[in-house]
Amino acid sequence: MLERIALHQTRLHTPGLGLDSKGVALGAKGLVLLPSIDRLVAFLAVYTRERSLEDLMPSLTMNVVRSKLGTREITLEVAAESSDRMDRIAETARLVGGMAFTGTSRHFVQYRDAAAPFGYDATELLATDAALLLYHDRFSQTYDVERALELRALLLRLMPHVDPSTRLEPGLRLVVAEQGLGAALVHYLVRSRVEGEVGIAEWPPDSAFDDYPVRRWLLRIPEVPERMRDLLHATPGITSFVPAGPGAAVEAGYRHPVELRACPVFDAAGVVLVRGRGDEPWVIPRLPPMGPLTAFARVELRTSPREAAVATRVEAAETVRVPLRVTPSSAPWRNVTATWIEPAQLPLLRRLAYALPRPTITRATVAMTERGAFLRSGGGIEAIPLGTFFVEVHPNLYVPAGYEVTPAVAPEVLARALGAPPGQVLFLGTDAHAVAVDEAAFVPLEAALLDAPPWTTAVAEEIDRALDDAPLGLEVSSIGMLPLRGVEPSPDRNG
Amino acid sequence: MADPRALASRLFQDVMAPMVLGGPVRPGHAIGARAAQELAPAADAIDAELADSVQTGRVRRARRLAPIDSLEPASAAEWVLMAALHDVLQSTNPSFDSPLRRGAAARILDLALQTLERVPPAAHVGEALSRHSWLARLFELSRTDTDVSWWTGSRTFRGVAPPARLQAWPELRRVTVVATPRPLLELTPLAVDRDKLVGAVARMLERSPLTDLATCTRAAPAFAWQRTTMALVATRAGRTLVLRSLQRLSGAEVDTVLGKATRALLAGKGASSEPALALLGERALAAAQGASASSSPSNPEAEFARGLGAVCATHLLGERGWPEAERARLLAALGPVSASPAAREASALLPADP
Repeated sequence: MLERIALHQTRLHTPGLGLDSKGVALGAKGLVLLPSIDRLVAFLAVYTRERSLEDLMPSLTMNVVRSKLGTREITLEVAAESSDRMDRIAETARLVGGMAFTGTSRHFVQYRDAAAPFGYDATELLATDAALLLYHDRFSQTYDVERALELRALLLRLMPHVDPSTRLEPGLRLVVAEQGLGAALVHYLVRSRVEGEVGIAEWPPDSAFDDYPVRRWLLRIPEVPERMRDLLHATPGITSFVPAGPGAAVEAGYRHPVELRACPVFDAAGVVLVRGRGDEPWVIPRLPPMGPLTAFARVELRTSPREAAVATRVEAAETVRVPLRVTPSSAPWRNVTATWIEPAQLPLLRRLAYALPRPTITRATVAMTERGAFLRSGGGIEAIPLGTFFVEVHPNLYVPAGYEVTPAVAPEVLARALGAPPGQVLFLGTDAHAVAVDEAAFVPLEAALLDAPPWTTAVAEEIDRALDDAPLGLEVSSIGMLPLRGVEPSPDRNG
Repeated sequence: MADPRALASRLFQDVMAPMVLGGPVRPGHAIGARAAQELAPAADAIDAELADSVQTGRVRRARRLAPIDSLEPASAAEWVLMAALHDVLQSTNPSFDSPLRRGAAARILDLALQTLERVPPAAHVGEALSRHSWLARLFELSRTDTDVSWWTGSRTFRGVAPPARLQAWPELRRVTVVATPRPLLELTPLAVDRDKLVGAVARMLERSPLTDLATCTRAAPAFAWQRTTMALVATRAGRTLVLRSLQRLSGAEVDTVLGKATRALLAGKGASSEPALALLGERALAAAQGASASSSPSNPEAEFARGLGAVCATHLLGERGWPEAERARLLAALGPVSASPAAREASALLPADP
């Protein structure tokens, strides 16, 4: 039935079959005959491993065909275009157990192979109404098209293979969280300073008995920290997807049999999330509006807003995991250079000021706050026997004398944990609460002692201006409908 | 008739208090002569705090003339006087200037005049000072008329503030707002006869002689010696208060007004002119003591007053026990004025024994 085409042969019997520039017999189309769906999938998997289907897509059709004997096979037709393309397709078909043909409309002859470098020509054509006539060196067969196969539907029906290695792949992750978990997950990611975007996607109800659509949180995280991978992969209700091409992503831990990146069948404006375990894929036709994770951070308001004060407590609890404690210590006092005199004791300080020696007054600095006076003296504060003494454990960080901080962290660590901005002097109380005083507020004690009482500016005015009367103005009001109602002359006139 | 307590409260709050403390004076529904006489018993209805402020303002006003520390609250006569003022002000309401309402304004003004008749003359200097503390700022009263024009029209608001909507988008709508203060006796339009209004104000001043003299340089009603003003300056204390109040006015204008009024008084020959002459004489003496006599530009009436005052002062210097040196100095200062033609003209008009 088939004969090999010889060199420089110009006359061919098969309709629609011609010779390209290399002399290879080539029709307008190429056809791959595959015995089953799994062979088709294998063909796609092999082909897309190295090449994209993008150039084949405009002409790609797949059909389930049926022979006269009732056997069903799969055909894949593409535009032949060139022998180079057909060579690749034929090699791939051979690899997966398929056969390659070429032709134009109904008659397809076997594509060239090693035995016939210029291809084959059918010397006797079959006379039949079948939709497809294939001529092979081992058989000639007719087929009728039973149904068409959609590539996109096929890809979505394929169950991905288990492949734990995809969980370790770096890069972008799409995370879908059930509605109840989304807020907590977002808060966790915000707290962990993970950057990303978040939106809410909706799917139709699972059944007619459900009134409301199914909503899930969709997160796009450019880089998931390694420590969070297990959380995102193993937490029920949270599904992590690895992007597998424009508009497609496959659940982490699975790999799609076909390289989806080479199959441009998904709309990049949306996303198809292919799930493992045989679950149906989640299709999002159009990505919902997404906002930065930080916009969804949990908002908390302080319950007791306090007025601004010179001295404010440093909020250390958020950054220190273990609550800080200040406990009594038997260690000897060293470097006692500050004291905190509460407002009730300020009169004593004023009285004591008359008795203080000049060197003490000269060296000491004081900051007056609404919580009392804070005195510092580099040479030691013992000369002013008032208030609570403090030891300077770190520059601008004071701990009550006779106390120590637990856990026994280094002063540098403590200062860093308290997070006081530069220019603030921290006094850690025995209740582990810190008071920050602006360093600029400390003025020499001698200047503070001699400060005049608070004064206000009195604007001098000319005495005439101060005594000026407010201007008089005559204002007009409504006279009403009866302006003379109740207006009567004096009684004697009436009488 | 309206509740006297409510009426008293309204009168005090809208007229009496602003007349002392300043601010907007808002005359309302006319009171009438009958109701005016029932206000004093209802005076306890007024706001006590406001009353304290007003009393303080009155004392402050009075202390410009006399070193007193307290004034009695408004007397019955003062309530009536202020009620009359209220009605006079109400009669100037521009809303009356319509064909069917002018009669109401005239009626209100008539009733105000009737009310004034019920006010007795000030019985003593203290009462005159008390009434002056209420009416001292009478001629400061003015109504602000506002002309608002915009791209498509204009409108005048008399005594009321124009609405904000008319002044919106001033640049786009090319809004122009011109506010013109109009004194009481120059208000326009006026539903009552202007002369009658001036007469009512003059009658009111007659009931407050110290105010009459303290505002003698006003444009209208022109100052003229009245029985009440003569009675005030006839007393030593009253003359002192008047001299102090006149010192706050322009000396030249005061001389002009007093010269004209005294010339008319002397020409009339109907009443005793001695208190007026004494006032002029003491003004001349004060001017001589201050060595500032006749320093300002003058006119015949002012020169007449100064000459008459110098003649009277010379006479006073001769009667009283002045130190000789002081008398000589004052006579020297008065000499040029008393020898002027105006002084000679005044001397000719004087009675035989001034």
